[in-house]
Amino acid sequence: MEDAYLGQATDIVLGQDFLTWLWYKSEAKGGHFATPDGETFAMYMEQRISVQGGEGDAKETTSVSGLMSELKEAKAGLALGKKVSKAQIKIELDSDVWQTTLKAEDFSQTSFKTPKVEFKQEEGDDPDASFLEKMYLVERGMAFLDAVYFEFLKLRFSEGWDEERKKVRSWLNKNGQDD
Amino acid sequence: MGFLSASTSFTRYRIIGEIPETLWPEIPDRLKKNAFQDIDHTSEERSFGWVCFDEMLDSQWRTAPPEKGEFMTFSLRLDTRRISAAVMKKHYTLALNDEMERVEKEGKKFVSRDRKRELKDQTKIRLMARSLPIPAVFDVVWNVRSNVIYLASTQGKLCSLFEDQFTLTFDLHLEPLTPYYQALQLLGESRQQQLDDVEPTLFV
Repeated sequence: MEDAYLGQATDIVLGQDFLTWLWYKSEAKGGHFATPDGETFAMYMEQRISVQGGEGDAKETTSVSGLMSELKEAKAGLALGKKVSKAQIKIELDSDVWQTTLKAEDFSQTSFKTPKVEFKQEEGDDPDASFLEKMYLVERGMAFLDAVYFEFLKLRFSEGWDEERKKVRSWLNKNGQDD
Repeated sequence: MGFLSASTSFTRYRIIGEIPETLWPEIPDRLKKNAFQDIDHTSEERSFGWVCFDEMLDSQWRTAPPEKGEFMTFSLRLDTRRISAAVMKKHYTLALNDEMERVEKEGKKFVSRDRKRELKDQTKIRLMARSLPIPAVFDVVWNVRSNVIYLASTQGKLCSLFEDQFTLTFDLHLEPLTPYYQALQLLGESRQQQLDDVEPTLFV
């Protein structure tokens, strides 16, 4: 993944479009999503967001951290045409919480946290039980992310995308007026 | 930090192409054939290979087998000797001074460029042999039902090293699940042209 590869330019376009759209969905629409099986969950962006604009030497990145209401600088960047390049994402389902930082250009996950798993072993326990539970939760978290990305993709490559793009724009404009 | 930590960083891959049924029983042997080789008692700069998921010192899988439920688990261990630039500079200068003294006795006034390069290489080897390799270990979890693979690293160089070592060991090719490849998988190969032609959305 070090060298340039096929699809690299598309990676950045799709990744940044996705995260920018996800911010709009999480803030303007409450971040309500569902899996293909109909399981509902919440996914939203919070606290740490980086936005990026320009190309090559002219590339500019603004990174902000704070509560949702204090991410004005990043939002101002969006209004100038920047896109979200990295974001901290939270997923909630009942009392279970997942958290990760997702990078737009390659979808690598940093600081991925699942709901807590008990690693204390008692006699007679399967020695792999905690690992299996942990991996179940990692894959469950990834399945939620995949479901939301799939929802984005279907919309992104449909005629409805232009309408969605306008909604994102009016959300951005509205935020500009609030400041 | 691996998958058993509270917080993990990872890259996700899928295997491209069919996996021959004959591969599954061969996995433990293939891992051993490409296992990590210790370099503590050599002056090698680096060494990498597979070790047991549960114990990074075990390259024979005596602690636990790679199978855990529906997963194949192992770790990529990478040991690297690093010499600080300041240490290198000091010892190279010492070696060069000694050499200058020697050549002056022979009536010469300078050390040739080739000899300088040789001295640098010798200094490096000498320092390598005296420094301990720094071990690092990266978990690999392979879901054998979905053939999705998780590597507990997001560093580009390490990811490349892992991809090569994986292909060398299992004769299988990996595709990172980046936005593009994941879109291909979710939407289907028939949409490839549409994906290749995609332009950034102008939200404002």
